[in-house]
Amino acid sequence: MSKTQKVIYYTLVTGIGFIWAFPFLWMMNASFSTQEVIFSLPPKLGDLFTSSNPFINYIKVLTEYNFFRYMLNTAFVTVSASVGQLLTCSLAGFAFARMKFRGKNVLFGLFLMTMSVPIQVVIIPEFLLMMHLGWLDTWLPLIVPSIFVGSLGTFLMRTFFENIPQEIEDSAVVDGAGPFRLYWNVFLPQAKTPLITLFILAFITNWNQLLRPILYINSRSLMTLPMALTQFQSQYEAEWHLLLTGSVITVVPLIILYIFLQRYVIRGMARVGIKG
Amino acid sequence: MNKKIAVVLLLGILGTALFSVFSFSADVQLDYWIWDPTIRGKYEKAIEEFESQNPDIEVNLNAIEPDNYWTKMRLNARTNQLPDVFNMSSAFLEQWVSNGSVMALDKFLEEDLNQENYFSPLFDVLTFDGSTYALPFAWVTPVLYYNKDAFDEAGVDYPSNGWTWDDFLKAARKLTKDSNGDGKIDQWGFWFYGRYAHIEPWIYQNNGRLLDENKQNFDPSPEAVEALRFLTDLVLEHEVAPSKSEMSGIDQQNVFPQGEAAMWVDGSWSIENNRRIIGDSFDWGIAKVPRGPSWEEDTLFAWPDNIAISPNTDHPEAAWKLAKFFSGPGLSSDLYMAGKIPSYNPLAKSEEFFNQDAQPSNITKLLEWGSLPMKTSFTKSWSEWRGYAGAEGLGLTGAIDQVINGRKDFDQAMKEANKYINKVLDENYEE
Amino acid sequence: MRNGARNWYQSWHPYAFLALGVVGLFVFRLGPIGAAFFMSFTEWNIMGDIEWVGLANYKEMFASGDFWIVLRNTGVFTLIYVPGALFAGFLLSLVINVKVKAVSFFRALFFSPLVTSAVAIGMAWSWILSPKFGILNYFINAALGIEGPAWLGNPDTALMAVALVFIWKEAGFYMIIFLAGLQNIPNSLYEVASVDGASWWHKLRKITLPLLTPTTFFALIIAVFRLWQHFQLVYAMTKGGPGISSTTLPYSIYQNAFVFYNMGYASALAYVFVLIVGAITALNFYYKSRWVTYQ
Repeated sequence: MSKTQKVIYYTLVTGIGFIWAFPFLWMMNASFSTQEVIFSLPPKLGDLFTSSNPFINYIKVLTEYNFFRYMLNTAFVTVSASVGQLLTCSLAGFAFARMKFRGKNVLFGLFLMTMSVPIQVVIIPEFLLMMHLGWLDTWLPLIVPSIFVGSLGTFLMRTFFENIPQEIEDSAVVDGAGPFRLYWNVFLPQAKTPLITLFILAFITNWNQLLRPILYINSRSLMTLPMALTQFQSQYEAEWHLLLTGSVITVVPLIILYIFLQRYVIRGMARVGIKG
Repeated sequence: MNKKIAVVLLLGILGTALFSVFSFSADVQLDYWIWDPTIRGKYEKAIEEFESQNPDIEVNLNAIEPDNYWTKMRLNARTNQLPDVFNMSSAFLEQWVSNGSVMALDKFLEEDLNQENYFSPLFDVLTFDGSTYALPFAWVTPVLYYNKDAFDEAGVDYPSNGWTWDDFLKAARKLTKDSNGDGKIDQWGFWFYGRYAHIEPWIYQNNGRLLDENKQNFDPSPEAVEALRFLTDLVLEHEVAPSKSEMSGIDQQNVFPQGEAAMWVDGSWSIENNRRIIGDSFDWGIAKVPRGPSWEEDTLFAWPDNIAISPNTDHPEAAWKLAKFFSGPGLSSDLYMAGKIPSYNPLAKSEEFFNQDAQPSNITKLLEWGSLPMKTSFTKSWSEWRGYAGAEGLGLTGAIDQVINGRKDFDQAMKEANKYINKVLDENYEE
Repeated sequence: MRNGARNWYQSWHPYAFLALGVVGLFVFRLGPIGAAFFMSFTEWNIMGDIEWVGLANYKEMFASGDFWIVLRNTGVFTLIYVPGALFAGFLLSLVINVKVKAVSFFRALFFSPLVTSAVAIGMAWSWILSPKFGILNYFINAALGIEGPAWLGNPDTALMAVALVFIWKEAGFYMIIFLAGLQNIPNSLYEVASVDGASWWHKLRKITLPLLTPTTFFALIIAVFRLWQHFQLVYAMTKGGPGISSTTLPYSIYQNAFVFYNMGYASALAYVFVLIVGAITALNFYYKSRWVTYQ
């Protein structure tokens, strides 16, 4: 990148970054504040620099409100659900992308359709199903359906497998590869980027599940982070400063994970002209 | 390595199983669900106290925030999994009674409760066709909050008991000020957000009603319409209150405590938030909502929060013990947020309850008003027609919004509201 | 060339690959979805008995004036959100697909709103958009010397404001997808173009955009499917108001399902919504071949 390009680039990215950062600055500020400060008019800077113990909200949320425990719970649920999706979605995506069979379009349409149905009307019948399976107050309703079906993942893997040139398939077939070897030895190794992307997307979706844990989980020891966040609200009052602190705590592990995984997604050098 | 883990796991499971068999000492297990997760710790302390008084009963507490509480409770009712004891809102009780999902408590009330110890009008709200279905543990009522410092500065007398709407309007005019001369109002006389707690008390202080005698039709009396018009005119004509849109982005509960408006009518539960946000920045008090032109007597628009018992509980006696304990006799005052008044008289009138050191200094007025004749306007599907919680833009709340926003004129909005509300009510009360 | 190779699989192979997914699909997804369809012909408040009412819910819906306003709001919301989110996501993916200092920070930053609770985001933006003390109107006033609107309090702007915040929240999602698409484009193509002296703009138009069409198609479909998820943000920012000016179908479904407990009516609304989404998706697939190219 030349110097002028760098200047243009950094100006652009800082400008956009500001729009993205501002609400978070407010949240961070609030997480170091008391309730009064959050709602003061005109707005005030929080207690980060003035308080003797600015991290009091964080300590409270992590220890008194057990957020460490909930973080582990959420991590366990999320990782199990997301890893399972990698397998089922890549298998299904491969079949949809590379094979012809009866009922393909109908089946694919059904997969897609499930994504478009608002959860509010599905969750009540789903609850009754889970009850009959005896899964209430366990993590199974949060994990098992996700392992089995990932509509978005199936579609994503299909899109990427379709975009792999035909010659690659052909030459492997000429070498005598059967369908499972073709999937496992030829296509999967090519799919590192979409698989990591799928993992990130599945991770986000499962990490953020709100309605399901609220309806399925009763025991406090099984709560997940988004569910725990609702515990700062009562009938006539809410602990907004703790809620915002909890929100920050909920986001941080995901951001760390994302930065870590994204390194694998961005494998090559800068491409789109910046290298120029 | 893996074997070792398996063995450890197996031992762990066995150990837990054995432990749970032998530790099962209490004869009776009760589930108790509440909607106030933020004070869960205080409830747990009270439960410890209860368990030490009743060693044969063990209570499992669950606290769910109010938005999802009712969804879970309805599912529980449907699937016969209701907790033995649970908190019940006055607004939804009628629905639950007609569904057979709460136990009638008449037998227990007769044998084991002295109603004299409670603010007795509360039981009226909990009685349907002669049977009582819940025990009140607290009650709340909307009040007029006023900023004493602003009144002093404007040279206006504090609201007194006989205050009329005229007195109120005069004061509001004087309190509406552009203090820095930039053409924008810096302090409004009044803040009107337009939900039930902000409107109904004015209607009742004008001897009006929103529903007909049977509470099955929306049929606002002329006095009620007069009150609605008076309130919307405060914004539109007299310009002593800001429009909702001007205050958007600020939590409606924080407008008064931030000093943006000198008067406000909202539930007594706001005392807690006021204390927190106002701190020492100004002095404030509470008063009865002013009397309208058709006023005949002071009434109390108030409602209790309650405890109910599941009709399917295996341990009705134990459940009753718990419900009675949590309706007041077993509690200490720190279980109540400021502005929620215990329904149990000995507790409400105890010295520890009304902390005279904290603002408002005239908080004991709430107790005086507690003896007034009580009015409510809850029905089935109340949230739907009134415009409550996630539906603030609908029903009567939505209609008032439209008027204040200048989108519809008053008569038009009321006509449409009438149609919508009666459709909702008709679905519930078909003759 | 698709059928050029010899037949390398038997007719049961596809079903073997799909077995897990299909079992899950029918048990955990289509079961409840079918039940919801049944619910749309009933009246049910969760607690009580289920009452069959035939088409009454649908009739009531089409006769209700509010429904048509809500439908229009949903259309407006979709027209702002779908193109907006795709464009923002694409832009962000270009910005972060470089190796320069501090880019990791920006990647994380653009990603963050996606995973932050709607309640927290609603609070932050409500404060930013507040007419009286909001920072946005402060800037508008400083830059243009005019008073900004009461974004969330004004029936004319509330819906748009929520849609824009939803774009802001979701852009990171499409950024991740486009980034994966960008990474799938072979480096060699750019190298050849660079040797030929092609400009940045030229490479973007001739290589990046055409080769990104499958990804764009995927993102477009997903954006329509993710549409309903904005109801939490509506709840956090406007509760559908003022009036019903920011009430969309998904929010109306939420109100009917979890505030009023009219499960039957909520399901009927949901099926109308699913039908619309399905129609848009079918159209997208129909026109796919006109603009989507594969390597």
